Amino acid sequence: MESTEPEPSGSRPEEEEDEEEEEEEEEEEEDDGALLPPKQRLAAMEDCLAKKMEITVSEAEKRTGRNAMNIQETYTAYLIETRAVESQSEGQCAPVESLWRRYSEFELLRNYLSVTYPHIVVPPLPEKRLSADNMDPDFVERRRIGLENFLLRVASHPVLCQDKIFYAFLMQEGGWKEMVNETGFQLKADSRLKALNATFRVKNPDKRFTELKHYSDELQSVISHLLRVRARVADRLYGVYKVHGNYGRVFSEWSAIEKEMGDGLQSAGHHMDVYAASIDDILEEEEHYADQLKEYLFYAEALRAVCRKHELMQYDLEMAAQDLTSKKQQCEELATGTVRTFSLKGMTSKLFGQETPEQREAKIKVLEEQIQEGEEQLKSKNLEGRDFVKSAWADIERFKEQKNHDLKEALISYAVMQISMCKKGIQVWTNAKECFSKM
Amino acid sequence: MSGGAASTPKPLPSSGPKSLREMPHPLATSSSEEMGPALTPSPDLLLPRSIADKDLSLPNGTPVDTSSPASSSSLLNRLQLDDDFDVETRDLFVTVDDPKKHVCTMETYITYRVTTKTTRAEFDLPEYSVRRRYQDFDWLRNKLEESQPTHLIPPLPEKFVVKGVVDRFSEEFVETRRKALDKFLKRITDHPVLSFNEHFNVFLTAKDLNAYKKQGMALLSKMGESVKYVTGGYKLRSRPLEFAAIGDYLDTFSLKLGTIDRIAQRIIKEQLEYLVELREYGPVYSTWGGLEVELSEPLEGVSACIGNCCTALEELSEDMTEDFLPVLREYILYAESMKNVLKKRDQVQAEYEAKLEAVALKREDRPKVPTDVEKCQDRVECFNADLKADMERWQNNKRQDFRQLLMGMADKNIQYYEKCLTAWESIIPLLQDKPETK
Repeated sequence: MESTEPEPSGSRPEEEEDEEEEEEEEEEEEDDGALLPPKQRLAAMEDCLAKKMEITVSEAEKRTGRNAMNIQETYTAYLIETRAVESQSEGQCAPVESLWRRYSEFELLRNYLSVTYPHIVVPPLPEKRLSADNMDPDFVERRRIGLENFLLRVASHPVLCQDKIFYAFLMQEGGWKEMVNETGFQLKADSRLKALNATFRVKNPDKRFTELKHYSDELQSVISHLLRVRARVADRLYGVYKVHGNYGRVFSEWSAIEKEMGDGLQSAGHHMDVYAASIDDILEEEEHYADQLKEYLFYAEALRAVCRKHELMQYDLEMAAQDLTSKKQQCEELATGTVRTFSLKGMTSKLFGQETPEQREAKIKVLEEQIQEGEEQLKSKNLEGRDFVKSAWADIERFKEQKNHDLKEALISYAVMQISMCKKGIQVWTNAKECFSKM
Repeated sequence: MSGGAASTPKPLPSSGPKSLREMPHPLATSSSEEMGPALTPSPDLLLPRSIADKDLSLPNGTPVDTSSPASSSSLLNRLQLDDDFDVETRDLFVTVDDPKKHVCTMETYITYRVTTKTTRAEFDLPEYSVRRRYQDFDWLRNKLEESQPTHLIPPLPEKFVVKGVVDRFSEEFVETRRKALDKFLKRITDHPVLSFNEHFNVFLTAKDLNAYKKQGMALLSKMGESVKYVTGGYKLRSRPLEFAAIGDYLDTFSLKLGTIDRIAQRIIKEQLEYLVELREYGPVYSTWGGLEVELSEPLEGVSACIGNCCTALEELSEDMTEDFLPVLREYILYAESMKNVLKKRDQVQAEYEAKLEAVALKREDRPKVPTDVEKCQDRVECFNADLKADMERWQNNKRQDFRQLLMGMADKNIQYYEKCLTAWESIIPLLQDKPETK
């Protein structure tokens, strides 16, 4: 798998070396049957920070404190540990550095990245809130894994990993929030993005982005559906396995009144208990698969956001162009004295008398200045737009390849899980059959 | 072998059980201990009898005053048990197959072909093929219960089917019923006493069974009559230990089978609900595949795979419903009818004890026990012996039947998982496949 280099980010001195290493890593992956643990896989795919530094979210801890409104609250803090990856010749391991962060700080980081790099498909955070308890240990554990995954994704991204705020997030506990706010990114944030479904009538939409937005909507829809049904399937499967446990008890009771059949029944019953118990581990493993799908559910939203930003950019561009055109027209009308378009000003001046030549001159001058400004702005907006399209598209290609790779891996691991489950089933029933044969 | 002109069974030329004359008397050693302690054995018990007498004095034959039915039937049973393990000595084979639907003006019903192959002298021909419907089987069972009240008669599949819930003419139902009817006749065939029953013979051979049915009571055995007319007025003080044990066993046995039946039904229900969800699950992968380019084939592959698992699960549930549950229910019915036979036995013993007491109270100076009481005693002994012998063979058959049933259940589950395993293993290469061009 090759990643296309995102264009505007400038040259990277380690390019060639990294590509080779990537290929090596790829081959390793294939040999292992694509069963490397997620952390290593991600690091292997891309270079940058992820290669130079080990990053883990290793612990979660309950904390109490006072929030901004001086109200006491409990929250969970996560321990981020980092360690520089030393080259093998040095032997010694670098020291581990660590700091604590809470979920809201992760959110702040992500918002900052989204605004600062609007053309990038920014990796998603794990779910904001589960319906029940944020303190539930299972939820906390899954969130911990999700946050680690987020950091690794960012660290593996060729552009995002170079961001200083990100680096500070990992390394600098105190004063980080102030640092982020000082960037003034909130001012750049477009409030219109929050209105997800508001339509902006763009006259010349970019077909590729329209299709991509449509794709991201469909992807979100289908993955949601898949996750819902998968959860129901898991519930039902749980029921099937657990009912078999009842055989264990009744066979035991029955064996008490039998002479020759007793032993066989009793031992078969034991295997039924084993069968019933086995479903717990099976379903827990499947949760990891569900989490992998969920990540891409949220990724679809990030993809959509990029399309949306482009849409707004295009809209602003068209508005600016339209504004410029109307100003030019106004200017022309004033200069030539002809009224081509109906305007209230025109009417009032007709009714209440024309302006003096001096007034008209002043007006024309203002308009000409505005027109010049407008033309420059339009030029830069156009440039901005072209740059955006170029770099966005590059990152979208990168994302597509990542997505295809990751989802294939996820499907393979799912199939492997199913195979393991079938083999366990065969084993248990074969054992039971042997017990029955001895009846 | 009913009362009347019963022919003496001749020793068969080739296969078949050896002539009883030729065998050392199995009762030569101790066998009087086999009798229940509560009863005084008839004084003639240990005298060897001629085969003819023995056979004629079988419980369903003409009762003889000085009969020793207990020894003869257990003797025969013991021999027959040995013969069961040697298939070559079997001389009667019965099969039920070929269900056919008959549509008449009054009703629609199914008939089954009953094929008999035999070398027994009781049969005029070596082969028979007749058609019978369920009510014929039901008639046979009732006749057997009447004429052989001291024996355990195998159960029939349930008579009444709630219309609308189950389709009486569906292939699955008919096949399930056919298997049960086949089992029913085979169990009778394997029984050393029941298989010689006249009604059974007629059932297997008569072209027009209905005409025979109308003859009715004429062929009712004397023993059958005598047991039939035992009124329920007598109350048994206590059941002998061994029969109490059998009664307790049957109670617990039925209970456990009932539980297993409920569990099996619950599993099938859960499996079907699981299947419903799976049927929605698979196609979602397919829909997703439609959105993608590179992932299209892998996603379609997963979708197809889940589809295959659905099919396998469907087959498992069907098999369990058709093969497993009916046999469980059969045994529950069996246990019920056996408990009824135990109760009948109690009644026979109660009558005997009551009459014995009445005689003792009279205190008349008579050397000989009145014939009436002696007959009761015979009946009790005979009943006990037949029942014990039948219980032993029932236990043996039960063990084999359940061994086969449960191994079958395990097999079906193994096959289900193997089908799923094959499906998932076959898509791994598809998922790992990398496209040629990039």
